[in-house]
Amino acid sequence: MHKAYSNKLVILSLVLPGILTFVFAVLAPICLSVYYALTDFSGLGDYNFIGGTNFIELIHDTNFWLSLRNSLLLAAGFILIQHPLAIITAAILDRLGKHAEGFFRCVYFLPNVISVAIIAYLWKFIYNPSFGLLNNVIEIFGGKGEVNMLGTGTAIWAVLVVLIWHGFGWGMLIYYTGIKNIDPTLYEAASIDGADNKISFLRITLPLMKPVIQVNVTLAVITALKQMETVYLLTNGGPGNETQFMANYLYKQAFSSFKYGYGNSISVAFVSICILSTIILNRIFKEKAEA
Amino acid sequence: MNNDSVINKRPNPTSRIIMWSILILFAVVQIFPLIWLVNFSLVSNNEMFTNGLLVWPEKLRFDNYVKAFIDGHFLLYLKNSVLINVLAVIIVLFISVCMAFACSRMYWKLSKVVKGLILLGMMIPIHATLLPNYMIYDRLQINDSIWALLIPYIAFSLPQGLFLTCSFMESIPREIEEAALIDGCGIYSVIFIIITPLLKTSLVTVSIMTFLNNWNEFMMASTYLNSPKWRTLPFSVLEFTGLYSSNYAVQFAVMSLTAAPMVIMYFMLNKHITKGVAMGAVKG
Amino acid sequence: MMKKVLVVILTLALTISLVACSSKGTKEPTSENGTTKEQTDVEKSEDVADPVTIKVFSNLPDRTSGQGFVEQTLFDAYMDENTNVTIEVETLDDEAYKTKFKAYAAGSKMPDLVSVWGQPGFIDEVIDAGILEPLHEEDYKEYGFINGSLDGFSKDGVIFGLPRNTDVLAFYYNQKMFQDHGWTVPQTYDELLTLADKINAEDIIPVAMDGGDKWPLYIFITDLMMKIDGSGILDKVKTAITNKDFSDPTFMQAADLLYESAQRDLFEIGFETTDYGTAQNLFTNAQSAMYYMGSWDMSMATNQDIPAEIRDNIRVFTMPVIQGGKATATDITAWNGGGYSITSSGAQKEEARKLLNYMFKPEGWTKLAWENGVCMSAQDFAQFETGNETEIQKQFMQIVKTSTNISGSPLGDLGTTEFKTVTEDSVQDLSIGKITSEEFLTGLENVYK
Repeated sequence: MHKAYSNKLVILSLVLPGILTFVFAVLAPICLSVYYALTDFSGLGDYNFIGGTNFIELIHDTNFWLSLRNSLLLAAGFILIQHPLAIITAAILDRLGKHAEGFFRCVYFLPNVISVAIIAYLWKFIYNPSFGLLNNVIEIFGGKGEVNMLGTGTAIWAVLVVLIWHGFGWGMLIYYTGIKNIDPTLYEAASIDGADNKISFLRITLPLMKPVIQVNVTLAVITALKQMETVYLLTNGGPGNETQFMANYLYKQAFSSFKYGYGNSISVAFVSICILSTIILNRIFKEKAEA
Repeated sequence: MNNDSVINKRPNPTSRIIMWSILILFAVVQIFPLIWLVNFSLVSNNEMFTNGLLVWPEKLRFDNYVKAFIDGHFLLYLKNSVLINVLAVIIVLFISVCMAFACSRMYWKLSKVVKGLILLGMMIPIHATLLPNYMIYDRLQINDSIWALLIPYIAFSLPQGLFLTCSFMESIPREIEEAALIDGCGIYSVIFIIITPLLKTSLVTVSIMTFLNNWNEFMMASTYLNSPKWRTLPFSVLEFTGLYSSNYAVQFAVMSLTAAPMVIMYFMLNKHITKGVAMGAVKG
Repeated sequence: MMKKVLVVILTLALTISLVACSSKGTKEPTSENGTTKEQTDVEKSEDVADPVTIKVFSNLPDRTSGQGFVEQTLFDAYMDENTNVTIEVETLDDEAYKTKFKAYAAGSKMPDLVSVWGQPGFIDEVIDAGILEPLHEEDYKEYGFINGSLDGFSKDGVIFGLPRNTDVLAFYYNQKMFQDHGWTVPQTYDELLTLADKINAEDIIPVAMDGGDKWPLYIFITDLMMKIDGSGILDKVKTAITNKDFSDPTFMQAADLLYESAQRDLFEIGFETTDYGTAQNLFTNAQSAMYYMGSWDMSMATNQDIPAEIRDNIRVFTMPVIQGGKATATDITAWNGGGYSITSSGAQKEEARKLLNYMFKPEGWTKLAWENGVCMSAQDFAQFETGNETEIQKQFMQIVKTSTNISGSPLGDLGTTEFKTVTEDSVQDLSIGKITSEEFLTGLENVYK
């Protein structure tokens, strides 16, 4: 029996396709990225090795830090705005039952199945100061309807709103499932003890949802760091670099500014930051769980 | 059911009103932009410059959709999207099952290392590989081919697939396969004939997650592809901003049209998708 | 533990070998491969006319109107005449085009015929990298290219591309709207600003500006410099870039003027995020009275998507004179920008050359473009005057005919790509008041430090 389970050839045949894909599509490009990050390759012609110069430039590049800040801002937006709203909605939804439950769940999730390309263009139109939906809504409520959300100062918030809006259904669904997994007898017991909805939400739902919340927070941070598509189409980092995100910035540097080597050094920093923050978050949650 | 009884016992009208208004408010916020999108796709271009929220068109302009359908290469791109995504899903499932079995069932020293390595992929941002992969695919001359999309799509869906399949496989009792092995079944037939059917729920989840993640991807597609041959659905939208820069209504039509297949599919498979996403998220 | 190390080493080895392969590829002169292949292709095609596929990468996505239509018409005609030739076209919008162009250039194989811009900011690096194939000057003796129009596409006396058109920058305006409100075409810049106040009072946007793409803003500031300085701003800017010295008062005055104009709401709200399509749509849907753009948009007059009462009423005027400025009304901002080149790594160089030469025969691009009211070519287009020109065409022809001085390429296109990026970002910041004129100019000086 044991022999059949430890046949090296069989094992190799089972893991090889996966390993090859991984090495070819993930590991090799990252190593290649490290290699180019050490050069002054412009994307055209010859290049020289310049050691860590790109990384030194990176440290002094305010736009890079700005894009990191934006990522963190987005993560905060997810954690402080999207997730609380999602949990509350999920908790309310949990009590509706049957048809209404299914209907709302469906409505909330719908934006998620629509392509980012469509979402980004749609919101570009919504924000349009001349005929966009947003200004028309403001006018209906008596405002002046001359708001340019994508303009300087407000652009980053406009981007956050779109991302929070788009991901809301997903977050809601996950919490919803988490809540559904809570033993209903707990609520019954609580209600017999005279707890109202608010109290049972705070005393029962939230504490029991802790593991789900932790996983979701980790995911939110990673998603925020990885953000690219929506920003690329919605603002492409503008105005100036106000809404720059790391992935978009590396793309811009490599392909629009002819700094392929530098773009790759951003790539390397980008990967490191993503891995590092996952590790840190896992540590924090582990320590908390043990404490 | 039990939850219902809880709420029914405590009919508090004000809190019910508050609850319903929250739900409805969010529902409006989530759905209204989409209604707006469909509405504006049916008007003529100069009717769009209005102050109202929605426009009641003088005449429903279905010709916008005709333009979107033909000039957006809708059928070709839809076919490409379906083909690429279905292939990616099948391959991800296959590799995940194989690896999960090897990593969670079989005895070899590197099993944890290999699994950890693949799972590391979950943390790696896909866009960090855009630049180097472009170079690699260029040297291998697979830019502008189906491989340029398939390979990264598979690679970046694999970690999640492997993770989910592993955790499901661990919950399957070993006795079944061991009995089969004693009866003289080979490892391969154990995996594909005995284990795989037991993994059905997990496989549905993996398929849905893979499909949702890759269906909407366009960054890699627009970097690696040059000719329309393998372009996927999001391209219809991207191309139209140039093609119909002076006709917004048609742009709205193409957006509605490209969103349609996935929305229809969502309505049809609503239950499975909800379950799949939820399962994937809770396990992950 | 040892095994773990081994795995790491193995994977590293694998990737390093991959890297090595690819870097070897980079250093190999790819043209060698290209030449041999292409020679055999030519021989073949002369003998038996084997099927040939020419790949074209173009920045004209709209194939049914405007320049894209002219381009496609020429391709179709060429394929009719040469039945063995198939032309595959890939198109992208300007900015996406430039991005993808660089991605292509980083790879090993370019399409055969590509759109290029004959301005240092784009073409210098591309020529230096050896991507473009030299053209034979003698081929074009009879083509009637306007004096100096090939300069931007040349380096050290060798031509690397052909200009597609003569671009003149202007304010398009809605004549009917002007008449209805009793507005008149401004003769001075002050009048323009006063007019803008009047238009704003009517709740209409004065000038629709594509500030999201940023380059129209640096063209606008170049236009201002031109009016302030008079005799061709080109050399002044080039010297300033080389000497890293933008202290000339012309620059400061132009920067101040742009900022003030934006402050006085000459442009629409949110102009800094408005893209090309939206800016044009504002104008063609009567949301704005004017629209600042190049002569390449003259095809609005024939675009069926635009309501007739607007498209028939589009007229133009060039940047009005600035008080105290040295320029007269006939000193204009114009250059020969977009064009085509053959790539040296393309598989069908000679076939692409034939196609290019076919396109630019005077009765080719020039005639078609003019007759369709699409643009003015960089060749002698006046010979194809039909008398059926649209009003905009006639006006542009007049503007070019009577011009006394021509600006040459705008500010952002005169340095490296990096200079362009900085100019774009900072001119946008300047126009919305995020930075001062001083900061704008020091920013330009600091690009090369």
